[in-house]
Amino acid sequence: MRFNEKELASLSRQPSEMAAELGMRGPKKGDVVKRRLVKLVVNFLFYFRTDEEEPIGALLLEQCRVEREDSRSFSIAFLDEAERKYLFECDSGEQCGEWVDSIIKASYEFMRKNLIFYRTEIHRLTGKDPLEQYGISDETRFQVNNGLQLVSRDTSSL
Amino acid sequence: MKLHEKILTHYLSCTSPVDKEGYLYKKKERNATYRRRWFVLKANLLFYQERPGDRHLLGVIVLEGCSVRRSESDVEFAFSLVFEGPGLKTYRFAARDGQTQESWVQTLVSASHCYLSLLVGDLGRQYEEAKQQQGSGGARPQSSWSKQPAGDLALAAQGPTAEVRPGRSFSAGTVLQAPSMPTKAVAKKSPKLWPRRHAHVTPLNGPAPSYGEWPLVGFDPLEDFGKLHDHYGQEVKRAREEWLRSRRAREEHTDGELVSLE
Repeated sequence: MRFNEKELASLSRQPSEMAAELGMRGPKKGDVVKRRLVKLVVNFLFYFRTDEEEPIGALLLEQCRVEREDSRSFSIAFLDEAERKYLFECDSGEQCGEWVDSIIKASYEFMRKNLIFYRTEIHRLTGKDPLEQYGISDETRFQVNNGLQLVSRDTSSL
Repeated sequence: MKLHEKILTHYLSCTSPVDKEGYLYKKKERNATYRRRWFVLKANLLFYQERPGDRHLLGVIVLEGCSVRRSESDVEFAFSLVFEGPGLKTYRFAARDGQTQESWVQTLVSASHCYLSLLVGDLGRQYEEAKQQQGSGGARPQSSWSKQPAGDLALAAQGPTAEVRPGRSFSAGTVLQAPSMPTKAVAKKSPKLWPRRHAHVTPLNGPAPSYGEWPLVGFDPLEDFGKLHDHYGQEVKRAREEWLRSRRAREEHTDGELVSLE
């Protein structure tokens, strides 16, 4: 499948608050932990060899499960294959917690849910649709009834 | 760079909604021909394949760092995705009619993660303020809005809610923003009307934040979202005006073969 590689590489060079050297292990049997520069930009997790400018790879952070594995590591599982996980080892428990939090919140779907929640609540509280002023109230992606469950506790960590 | 395709295709086929799909003509760089492709937009990813239902995906375009432009082209209903930066691409498309073109342009303009992030930040603030005003003003939701002079804060129930609906910001040409009051400063005594102000927006110099100057999460998002939105508003406004113009012009001409599309 073709993709806009140069543009994605350019994206990987954008400033990010979450960028650090972590231990990273791939999902396959026999994969070992390697030091990588891991960087979160929008909903992608890029990983680089520590001395290189071009990322080795990019992981789309949608439909994935992020979990704490132990005090200093977390994992990301994709494709509903719970046992096929990427493992990341951090320097501290605090750092680990920050990564888990950031990755969850970076997902487009997560943001969309929050948007829909806010939109609904603001409308309920004020009688006004906050998207009207931006002229985007008809965009499909912002519709309240597009099958998502509104759970107010989704935003409790924000 | 390895883009883990399975993750993308899995995301595409999972239950979360598709944001837009349809046929568009995509220009091949090499020989300047247009080929019809079926496009599916989900989040900030624009997938394309030969036809709907094909299992084989031809490609995906990650929609970050690009601006949407109406193209100056010999092909009608053309638009492009312009990635800013040295050596970066411009993807060129054409729609079958003006409505399709406008619809795609509007949707693509608001498709990026950056855009959504700023929008969510903005709404989050509005939500907090609405909650605070709700708390201080008692249980009754506010029923009258900015049409009242600032001194009149009466909350008398006036029967059915008289909603003030500001016009679409694109045609009005102004961007209305939520007030940037720090939440702590909200008066407890009486609920305030949201003061509406016209954002003083400095148009961006280029079609997109220039290379290296992306909107960062740490900024004052209110100001930046207003700028970003106004900028997109200008683009879409232009696209819209061009579409209306060309539509009128076409009505005066007989239809002819414009260009042969594959």
